[in-house]
Amino acid sequence: MKQSLFSTTLDNGIVLLGEDLPGLESVAIAFHTPAGAIHDGPGRCGLATLSGEMMLRGAGGRSSRQIVEKLEGSGVQWAQSVSTSHASFAGAMVAKQLAVALPIYADILRRPDLPDDELEPARQMVLQNLAGTEDDPAHRVMSTLRQLHYPHPWGMPSEGITVDVEGIGLDSVREFVAANVRPQGTIIAVAGRIDWDDVVRRIETLFGDWTIGGGATVTAGNRGPRSRHVPHDSQQTHIALAWSVPPYRRDESYEASAALSVLGGGSSSRLFSEVRERRGLCYSVSAGYHTLRDAATAVCYSGTSAARAQETLDVMLAEIQRLPGTIEPAELDLVKARAKSALVMQQESSAARAGWIAKQWYHLGSVRSLAEELARYDSLTVASVEAWLAANPPTGLTVVSLGREPLEVPDEVSV
Amino acid sequence: MKFRYERLPNGLEIVAEVTDSALSTSVGFFVKTGSRDESDAEWGLSHFLEHMVFKGTAELSADEINRRFDGMGASANAFTSEEDTAYHAAVLPDQQDEATALLARMMRPALRDDDFATEKLVILEEIRMYDDQPPFGADDRCRATFFGRHPLARSVLGTVESIQALPVEAMRDYHRRRYSPSNIILAATGAVDFQGLVESARRWCGDWEPLAVPERRVAGGPRPGGNASTLEIVHRPASTLEYAVRMSAGPAGDDDDRFAAKLLSAILGDTSGSRLYWDLVDTGEVEQASCHHQDFLDAGMFATQVACDAEDVTDVLARIEEVYRKAADEGIDEPELEHNRNKLAGRWVLLGERPRRRLFDVGPEWAHSGSYRSVADDLRTIENLSVDDVRRVLSRWPLHGTAATVLAGPRPQDPSVNGVSAAQ
Repeated sequence: MKQSLFSTTLDNGIVLLGEDLPGLESVAIAFHTPAGAIHDGPGRCGLATLSGEMMLRGAGGRSSRQIVEKLEGSGVQWAQSVSTSHASFAGAMVAKQLAVALPIYADILRRPDLPDDELEPARQMVLQNLAGTEDDPAHRVMSTLRQLHYPHPWGMPSEGITVDVEGIGLDSVREFVAANVRPQGTIIAVAGRIDWDDVVRRIETLFGDWTIGGGATVTAGNRGPRSRHVPHDSQQTHIALAWSVPPYRRDESYEASAALSVLGGGSSSRLFSEVRERRGLCYSVSAGYHTLRDAATAVCYSGTSAARAQETLDVMLAEIQRLPGTIEPAELDLVKARAKSALVMQQESSAARAGWIAKQWYHLGSVRSLAEELARYDSLTVASVEAWLAANPPTGLTVVSLGREPLEVPDEVSV
Repeated sequence: MKFRYERLPNGLEIVAEVTDSALSTSVGFFVKTGSRDESDAEWGLSHFLEHMVFKGTAELSADEINRRFDGMGASANAFTSEEDTAYHAAVLPDQQDEATALLARMMRPALRDDDFATEKLVILEEIRMYDDQPPFGADDRCRATFFGRHPLARSVLGTVESIQALPVEAMRDYHRRRYSPSNIILAATGAVDFQGLVESARRWCGDWEPLAVPERRVAGGPRPGGNASTLEIVHRPASTLEYAVRMSAGPAGDDDDRFAAKLLSAILGDTSGSRLYWDLVDTGEVEQASCHHQDFLDAGMFATQVACDAEDVTDVLARIEEVYRKAADEGIDEPELEHNRNKLAGRWVLLGERPRRRLFDVGPEWAHSGSYRSVADDLRTIENLSVDDVRRVLSRWPLHGTAATVLAGPRPQDPSVNGVSAAQ
C-alpha cells in the first residue's frame, strides 16, 4: 500500500509528523506535550489534569469561551486530555480550516493566561469528573489495578485524587506549565488531506521561536501490593488482573500482544469462548495489552454477579495458566487477520492516524510504515510466540476485585 | 459516492452507498424490529434474540461464527434499540462476499434450547452491569413514564424478571414473525461491489419465506408526554453523584422539523460550547448537563441528562428550565445559529468519511423512511436552517414546562413525590 509519511524536527526539539491520506476531506492534528501526570509530584495528584484544563481557560488574548467558539464555529472537533506521559490537545476538521485552528493551538500551548478567576471553576470541573469516576465500577477497578501494578508514579490516576486536587494552588499550576509544556519532547502529528510543506511552514512560524528549557526526570518508586479488594455496593463484582510484558518499543512486544490476543482479543478468543460463550458467566471479558514507554502490562477484565465471581476469576486464571505451550496455528492466523484489517481500516480516520503516528514516535523514535508493521505481524510464528511465552510465562500477577465481597486469590499465580 | 438499490422478489431490500475510493466495506442486516414491537410477555426478547443469532445456525456453531469473523479480520457486532435490530461487519473489500454470506446465514439461527439457557445468564449479567452504572436506571424509568401506554415505553434490555420468564418457544415465534425478508434491509457502505452484494443476497436470502408484517406506527393511539409534569426518585445510597434524566416532547422522525430540533439541542445542550455547558459545566457546578433530540417513527423527544451533587440537583434542574424558557422567550440570534451550523457540519463531514460509521445512517434511514440521504443532503439541509426554523421548533415543542423527570442517586426520597426504591 502506498503511504506518504513525513517527519521533521525543529531546532527547538519539536517533532512534527505527517501522513497524507488523500482519500479524505479532513485533517486531524494532535499536540502532545510532555506535561503528563507522572510529573504531578507528591501530594498533587491531578496537577497535570488541572493544568491542562487551565490552559484552555484563556490564551493569547482570547477567553475560554472565545477559544471554544472560534474552534467550534470553524467546524473543529476539539479534544483535550492528560495521560501518564503527555498533555494532549487535538482537533479534527475539514482540511481548509487547519489554517484557522493552528494559531489557536499555538496560543494554548505557548501563551496560556492561567488566570486567577478561572482556577476555582477549573478545579470544580476536575472534582466533578472525579466524583463521576467513583460511580463507574469498571473504571475504578482498572485504575486501582494500574496503581498497584506499575511502579509509582506511573500507575497514578491522571484524573487526580480528590484530596490532592482540593489543595492545589495557582502557583503550582503556573510552575507546572512553565516546566513541562515545552518544545523539547513535544510531538505534533497531522494526518489527512495535508500539504506537508505548507504544514511545516505554518508550524515553524508559530512554534519555531519557542525556546523554553527545563523538564524534570522522574525516578521509579515502589509497586503496590499484589492484590486488593475494593468494597463497593454493586450487584456485580469486577475483576482485573495484570502482569508485566515488554513495552511496545521492544521487538518481542509483537509476540506478547499476539499471545494476549489469543487469550482475550476477539470473540473467538479463549476467555470469550470459555467464560462467556460456554459458561455464560459474564457479559464482558477480555484481555489486552497496555503499554507505557518503559513498561507494559497484560490486562484482563471481567464483571459478573457476586455469586459467580469466584468461578469467573478461577476460570480466567486457569486460561492464563493454560496458555503457554498450547497455541494453535489457526489461532495465530486469526490474530494476524484481525491486526492487518484494523491497521488498514485505521487509514480511514485522520484522527486515528494522527494518534497512531504520534504514538509510534513516542515509543520508537520513528514511524514504521504500514508495510513494515504488517510484515512484523506476518513474521510471527507459533514457534516464536511459544518461545517468548516459555521464557516469559505469566507470573507475578496483580489481582484487584471491586464489589460487595472479596474473592480468594492464590498467593502466587505462576505456571 | 453512488446510491444503489435492489429488491428481491421475497421483499428483501438491498441498499448501498458506494464509495470507490474507500479502503473498507461495511455490511449490515437491519431488521425492523425492537422493543416497541414486543408484547408485555415478550419484553426484552428482541435484544435476547440478537445475542442468540450469534449462537449459530443448524450448520454453523457459535465457535465457527466467531472464528470466521475473526478470520476475515472483521469488526463485527450487533445492536438492538427500540426500533431496530442490526447485525454488521466491517471488512476489507475482498471479504465482502464472505461477510455478507455469514451474516445472511446467521439471520436464520438454530435457537437451540441449551444455548438459550446459557445465553439467558449472559443477558441477566448485562442487565446487572447497566444497573450498576450511571444513570442507575433513571433513563429507562423516565422513558417508561414519558411514553406511558405508547409501545416506546418498554426498555430494550427488559428486566431480570421478564427475561427469566421468557420461554424459548416465544423467541422462535417472534423470530418467525419479525425476521421476514420484507422486514429486513441489507445495507452496505464503502468500497461495495453492488452486483456481488445482490448476488450474495439472492443466494443466501432468496428462499426466505415472506410473511406480512403489521404496521408499527401507532396512529391516533396514546401520545407520549402527557399533560402534566412528573418527578420520580430512585434512591441509590451508594452512588456518589445524583443523576437526572428529563424528557419532553419533540418532533418525530417523519417531521421536517427534526433537523432544526437537532440544531436547537446542540445550541442548548451539546456536551461542549452550548448554553448548558457555559452555564453549568464550565463553572464546575455539574459533572454533566446535556440535551439531545431523539426521533422515532411516530414520536420524538428532547432528553436532558444531568449529573451533579445531590444537594444541588433541584437548583440545577430549575436553572436548566430557565435556560429553556429563555430560549423560548427570546429565540436565538444569527451568530449563535451560524456557529452551531458550522459545528454540526464539521462533525457530519468527519463521521461521513468513515464507511463503518455511515452504515448506521444509511441502514436505519432506509428502514425508517424508505429513503436515502447523502452527507451532502444533510449538509444542505442544515445550511438552509434559519432562526425562524429554530423559533418554530421552540414554539411547537417548548422544552420548558411539561416534562417527565427521574432522579437516581443518594438524594433521600421526598415524601411529596412519587419515590421508588432501587430494584435490586
